[in-house]
Amino acid sequence: MRLANPKALEEWRARLEEAAAACAHLPKVRVCAGTGCLANGSAKVRAAFEAEACARGMTLPVDFAAETTGCHGFCERGPLVVIEPGGILYEKVKPGDVPEIFEKTILRGEIVARLQYRDPNTKKPARTPGEIPFYARQHRLVLGRCGEVDPFEIADAVRLGAYAGLAKALDMPPGEIVGMVRESGLRGRGGGGFPTGAKWESARKAPGRHRFVLANGDEGDPGAFMDRSLMEGDPHSVLEGMIIGARAIGARKGFIYVRAEYPLAVKALQEAIRQAKERGLLGRDILGTGFDFDLEVCRGGGAFVCGESSALMASIEGRAGEPRVKYIRSTERGLWNCPTVLNNVETWANVPRIVLDGPGRFRSMGTEKSPGTKIFSLVGKVKNSGLVEIPMGTTLRTMIEDIGGGVLKNRRFKAVQTGGPSGGCLPGKFLDLAVDFDALTTSGSMMGSGGMIVMDERTCMVDLARYFIDFLAEESCGKCTPCREGLKALQRILHGLCSGRGEPGDGERLRALGEALAETALCGLGQTAPNPVLSALRHFPEEVAEHENEHFCRAGACKGMYWPLVDPSKCVGCGACGKACGTGAIKGAPRIPHVVDRQACITCGACLEACPFSAISPVRRERPA
Amino acid sequence: MIEVTIDGRNVSVEPGTTVLEAARSAGIEIPTLCAHEGLPPEGNCRLCSVEVVERGKARIVMSCMYPVNNPGLDVRTVTDRVMALRRFVLQMLVDRNPKAPVLQRLCSQYGVKPRLAPEVEPELCIRCGRCVRACETNGTSALGFANRGWEREVTPPFGENSPDCIGCLSCADVCPTGRIGWEEKGGKRSVWGKSFDLVECERCRERYATPEQLRFAGVDPETARLCPRCRRIEQQERMRLGNRGA
Repeated sequence: MRLANPKALEEWRARLEEAAAACAHLPKVRVCAGTGCLANGSAKVRAAFEAEACARGMTLPVDFAAETTGCHGFCERGPLVVIEPGGILYEKVKPGDVPEIFEKTILRGEIVARLQYRDPNTKKPARTPGEIPFYARQHRLVLGRCGEVDPFEIADAVRLGAYAGLAKALDMPPGEIVGMVRESGLRGRGGGGFPTGAKWESARKAPGRHRFVLANGDEGDPGAFMDRSLMEGDPHSVLEGMIIGARAIGARKGFIYVRAEYPLAVKALQEAIRQAKERGLLGRDILGTGFDFDLEVCRGGGAFVCGESSALMASIEGRAGEPRVKYIRSTERGLWNCPTVLNNVETWANVPRIVLDGPGRFRSMGTEKSPGTKIFSLVGKVKNSGLVEIPMGTTLRTMIEDIGGGVLKNRRFKAVQTGGPSGGCLPGKFLDLAVDFDALTTSGSMMGSGGMIVMDERTCMVDLARYFIDFLAEESCGKCTPCREGLKALQRILHGLCSGRGEPGDGERLRALGEALAETALCGLGQTAPNPVLSALRHFPEEVAEHENEHFCRAGACKGMYWPLVDPSKCVGCGACGKACGTGAIKGAPRIPHVVDRQACITCGACLEACPFSAISPVRRERPA
Repeated sequence: MIEVTIDGRNVSVEPGTTVLEAARSAGIEIPTLCAHEGLPPEGNCRLCSVEVVERGKARIVMSCMYPVNNPGLDVRTVTDRVMALRRFVLQMLVDRNPKAPVLQRLCSQYGVKPRLAPEVEPELCIRCGRCVRACETNGTSALGFANRGWEREVTPPFGENSPDCIGCLSCADVCPTGRIGWEEKGGKRSVWGKSFDLVECERCRERYATPEQLRFAGVDPETARLCPRCRRIEQQERMRLGNRGA
């Protein structure tokens, strides 16, 4: 079972490839078993496939195989099923659909049209993932094996190239590995964008008997799930990167810190570690080269701040997950005061490819200062939401309009929120911005871990800032004064603005508080906490001013700060608004323009959301003199 | 020794000295709240900010934590930026703790006026954690922080009487605001909701420590006749007698 040397690994891979080629003509299905699809019932779909095959007298897995894979990325359409040969993609598959799929597609090669993906704009059906712009525009390098392999089966990953980078790295002097990563220009995918090579170099040179490599999988941004999908779908890519990193800096022990709310990722990683150890790819005497390295999964402390480097290390050490002041880098004094390299799981997953293909190949993608690809989770008011991996330097427009298929209900695009709670909102004028670390920072937002939330005109930017500040105030550890007290002060003003109690000067107060907070807070969470507010002030000053001076919310999101007004020229009297209204405030008869009874209206915004013709819009209220 | 400049004055310190210690050694005062010379620094109150210029770049650091490691460090303790940030921190603290004398004093010095939000209950705890660190440094660790964010508070575990508390009052001793109340009445001491007996000194009759405190220090309360002061006096007397005898 144990692979005695790198050559044994290559021989094993060759045997696996041969076996796969031999049964390539046999029918099989790949059912997505990522968290999203599982929640939609994909486990039952897979069971139904197996039951159907058995009922038809097929022998599993010889005549037919139903495989589970990690996340395909198109979670919104799940459960996703890919049928081989042919790579036919079906979406939203239910166990009840399985007999028909078997009968038509698997046995006769016909398409079940109602399960196909249809382009939301052209309504054209797509046969394979490659025909869908959502997939076609992506460059799935880091996610390459995600959705192709069973994450609980190391042989699958090895067949598709896993640990080839490690075999190469074991043959190189450690300094050369660091040099390669440095030359590739890889930057930290967790948000900071710090050059990975420089980090490794610093840890390699720092004096100390023990060294550690850590993977940050404590993804906590609302709406972000890149790291989770990677850990669930291809855990071996993370493991391989870390083993190479450990070899490069001379670490013998590593930890993968995984968010406590990701049980499937924990399971996948633990199983991957067990299988890698069994094969001699991890543990003592890796691939017979005498190099020892052990990995352990550490479940998170259940707080957003645990994703901050010093808090993460405190949490692994067994202390409360609170950041500490660090004027000495963790590459010199990190975990248990030993030289430590902490990288995001996505950063680690980039490493094997860099080592295998060389830094030049990596640099050929992306931009000069931010080479490579980046995984984003594209969510919010966009037609196709999910996980996308694209080269750095792709414009926001390509992401939102081509890959995302445009804004839901063809509403007007208002802004895109990047970088999670520490990031900011970019308005329409930035749509042609080529996204990389520096471009996002200079335009007043940040890369963050790669969350991308698209918003339409129904999103109030003040309300959004309030949402994020509420989130951060909830998640602040409270250790330092500015974050603990300052976020509360910001919250007070924002809650006032969003409930019609805004006062002239609130915007200026927010700015002053925010800027001081950013400069004095102890950790990265606190220093970036005011960003949602500051970016609203920077890019949407008129909206803040309306909340402050006129108590008006143009998005119709803040209760009691507008009236919904029906435009009689657009209203066809379909009654959709009336059905949505909970208080019976919509008056009118079929096919006659409706009106809103302001006595009964509670400005919940349901009618604004429901109108298919955008005939209802928020208007200013007359204010008592 | 390393040469640094603080507010234009040359100061020479051991490498690793904090900027705060360096400044104080030169008689330059920087306001602090969470720092205490007997406790490890934590840098959480954020009041002691100063501006340092290194390799031509100015940035704000916390003087209680920032180590002097490179010669030529240029520290400025009273710039407009520093003063504005200190005022911000004081404002945040005094808005919640308007009655703390130490904050009132600092606020009047920095021209900060409390702005009380109606929904905020005035308190005396600024969450500087000196008490927690004191208890930890003692080795008792009977105090800690519970909850997070705005709700963060100092408490014995689960808000119950801690079996680890020895009633030594170190926490109250280092508290800058007087938040930690304690009482000695009728031969009993009470702190953190726990009541302790007191051991009386045979000589001066002072009730000088709790039995738990003595036991923690490795002294048997049954045989501890004297308080530390009287013990020293008695020792001195014995030595004097001994000398005369010789």
